[in-house]
Amino acid sequence: MRTPAPAERPRRLRRTPVLAVGLWWAVCAVGAAATQNPGGGGKTVWDGVFTAEQASRGEGTYREWCASCHGAALEGADMSPPLTGGAFTSNWNQLTVGDLFERIRTTMPLDRPGAVRGQQNADLIAFILRSNGWPAGAAELPRELTPLKQIAIETTAPK
Amino acid sequence: MTRSRGGITLATALTALWLAAGPSGQAPSPSTARGEWPHYTADLRGTKYSPLDQITARNFNQLEVAWRVKTDLLGTRPEYKLEGTPLMVGGVLYTTGGTRRAVIAIDARSGELLWMHRYPEGPRGANAPRQLSGRGVAYWTDGRGDNRVLYVTPGYHLIALDAKTGIPVPGFGKNGVVDLKAGVVYGDGKPIDLETGEIGLHSTPTVVRDTIIVGSSMKEGMTITTHNNTKGLVRAFDVRTGKLQWTFNTIPRPGEPGNDTWLNGSWAINGNTGVWTQITVDEELGLVYLPVESPSSDYYGGKRPGNNLYGESLVCVDLKTGKRKWHFQLVHHPIWDHDISSAPILLDVTIDGRMRKVVAQPSKQSFLYVFDRVTGEPVWPIVETAVPPGNVPGEWYAPTQPIPTRPAPYGRPGLRIPDEVIDFTPELRAQALENLKRYKWGGDFPFSGTLYNPPIVGDIKGLLGALNLGNASGGTNWPGAGADPETGIVYAQANLSALSPESVAPPPPGFSDLPYQAGVVGQPFRLREAAGTGTYADVVQRAAGAAPAAAPAPAPAPAPAAAAQPVQNFTAVEGLSIVKPPYGVLSAIDLTRGEVKWQVPHGDTPDAVRNHPKLKGPTIAKTGQAGSVGVLVTKTLVIAGDPQVTTTPEHPRGAMMRAYDKQTGAQVGAVWMPAPVSGSPMTYAIGGRQFIVIAVSGGNYSGEYIAFRLPETDADSGTR
Repeated sequence: MRTPAPAERPRRLRRTPVLAVGLWWAVCAVGAAATQNPGGGGKTVWDGVFTAEQASRGEGTYREWCASCHGAALEGADMSPPLTGGAFTSNWNQLTVGDLFERIRTTMPLDRPGAVRGQQNADLIAFILRSNGWPAGAAELPRELTPLKQIAIETTAPK
Repeated sequence: MTRSRGGITLATALTALWLAAGPSGQAPSPSTARGEWPHYTADLRGTKYSPLDQITARNFNQLEVAWRVKTDLLGTRPEYKLEGTPLMVGGVLYTTGGTRRAVIAIDARSGELLWMHRYPEGPRGANAPRQLSGRGVAYWTDGRGDNRVLYVTPGYHLIALDAKTGIPVPGFGKNGVVDLKAGVVYGDGKPIDLETGEIGLHSTPTVVRDTIIVGSSMKEGMTITTHNNTKGLVRAFDVRTGKLQWTFNTIPRPGEPGNDTWLNGSWAINGNTGVWTQITVDEELGLVYLPVESPSSDYYGGKRPGNNLYGESLVCVDLKTGKRKWHFQLVHHPIWDHDISSAPILLDVTIDGRMRKVVAQPSKQSFLYVFDRVTGEPVWPIVETAVPPGNVPGEWYAPTQPIPTRPAPYGRPGLRIPDEVIDFTPELRAQALENLKRYKWGGDFPFSGTLYNPPIVGDIKGLLGALNLGNASGGTNWPGAGADPETGIVYAQANLSALSPESVAPPPPGFSDLPYQAGVVGQPFRLREAAGTGTYADVVQRAAGAAPAAAPAPAPAPAPAAAAQPVQNFTAVEGLSIVKPPYGVLSAIDLTRGEVKWQVPHGDTPDAVRNHPKLKGPTIAKTGQAGSVGVLVTKTLVIAGDPQVTTTPEHPRGAMMRAYDKQTGAQVGAVWMPAPVSGSPMTYAIGGRQFIVIAVSGGNYSGEYIAFRLPETDADSGTR
């Protein structure tokens, strides 16, 4: 039996002069993740890291790509984990929004990973953050990994 | 520092080796007594017990990572649900991993990859009802150098590999492969399509003597396109040739006993009823124990009036012929997805002064059903109890269900309301009780009517479902329980907080030939599929906006949810389960007395509870965690990993592998893991040192096997 060639994935990474800087930041971010505590910006999901409008856009993406498994209320079911509530926040506590972004980018939806494009992915995460009660703010959640890696997911508001 | 390590164990192992070798020059059978782990459940009896005793309460916290095997490179993309338990025979570990379910052989000392086998199945694999890397492999040896590793692919091929090389054995089936889809039927005997036909298996085959026993699994049964899907079956094959030895039909055909439990000839238009979990065998008695799952569909059985044998039954068949010896149906006319979800456990125990050969069946209900395994007689009375009927149009209801009198449940078969409702604060409790008004429960039946509470036609504007707890994801699931054969004590983890409001609704027009299946009227239709569906290495990715991959082509795309109103999740308040802790427990059940000997919460209190803003005042006792994990039983310890990650003052973000004292349940040690446990742990010894291997994955952490062992001390360095 022959192996079919793996499906071609669209490449979305734009090469710009920023890339070199981005790589430097990524190295920092990886180091930070390893110590469980993002350094640099030191932002958390409690700091208003997305806009209300972005979360509304993300809701549409959620309904199209995610709700069929994770549920209309993000409550999860059977083998699909909930994306809201204690099970979700415990699972992602101390990781970064960038980690969540990468998990979605590389594996979701299960039958078409990569289908949720960069901007859509950021919007989607904004919706998930809003659904978990984290506050909206003035600036949109970016679609680049490096700054996302600087935003910590914390179950409790920093004192 | 002096430590006694492995002296007795090694001597015992060497003696066993010498005794087993015998006069013929034949190599001894692989055995836990030799420090090996030759079956998924350690032995054929489902115990997960190893007599190794080097790792103890005293030194458990000193465990170090010996090696790791990351499974990302097996298949076309990483897997986040690695469920395998490796075997160890002759210094080599054998297991499965990755999105293609590759088989790998690993050096037991170093973790070095010795060989890898992959069997690309293209669309056949992509169609598989049970994808993911599976639970592992089976091992066979003739004792004269013919050593084989056997496994079932996602596309339902049974493959025999040379254990030394990983190359398929030419004399087995066709070039090492038996097509398990051949001979599988639906309806009244029509063969399924070899490419698209719905059947697979994610558990391991069971090898006993020269026979391989293979079960079957279909898709998740909540939302299905037809009740007339593939019929479950169990088959035995000759391990040398791959030739079929016998077939046991889990839906009895006309003339076979039990066929009359499918009224109106409904046996001919229903399917499922597979055996998707591990099978156990009493080799001496020549008896095989089959834990059978639900018929089609999980929550609506209107097309199959009657009790529906052997749905949700424990069936004992003859090892040589596959003929039924006895059976016991745990749930009549199943409509709650109880299945029988884990390996039956065989023990010889003295009960009331009599030596009994028993089979103990853990369950989602957290009942341990105990039978004489020769006769099938319950050891303690199991009482047929009247249960309330439901009112879903067309459904048929069994008037009674069998409920064990002993041992007492080791978890929660149902939710006692209000006793077991959250009470952290009066406000949370009041809100939880308010939420509960959205579900059907109550009445005279035990557990506030939440056990065997028949599904309703739920409506977003009214009652959302019939509340159940000990079903679906409750109690003990596929990782199963373990036992100490010397003491007759069973050790089982159970999920105590898996609330399941069961509701059925008409599916979207054209989707299914069932008038009802899982769903809520007014809520967007939701296709519910098995874990990992769509992740097989060769899955053709769906186009943007198209229906999920597993939806059948002729069906219209489930209505886009844009118009639908999201439903609040009423089983939680402020992110907390409305169920009172413990959320998950580990229990010891003493079969000599028929009693739960001890029970402790298993798993750290989840971050969301520990850090909850509303819970700053009250002191919360350790809650344990929801989820399903397997146990490993050694000479002195019960070992199990956390199903969830936490970050606590005691440890950084991660999950712990914990050791408990077998006598008391006291936690005696814990070591850190980077991710939750996703497969059952196993243990072995090589070079005088005991190892524990555990599969972890989940969240953002892809599948990895991690091996732990004690640090090498100066005193030990000469032993290798």
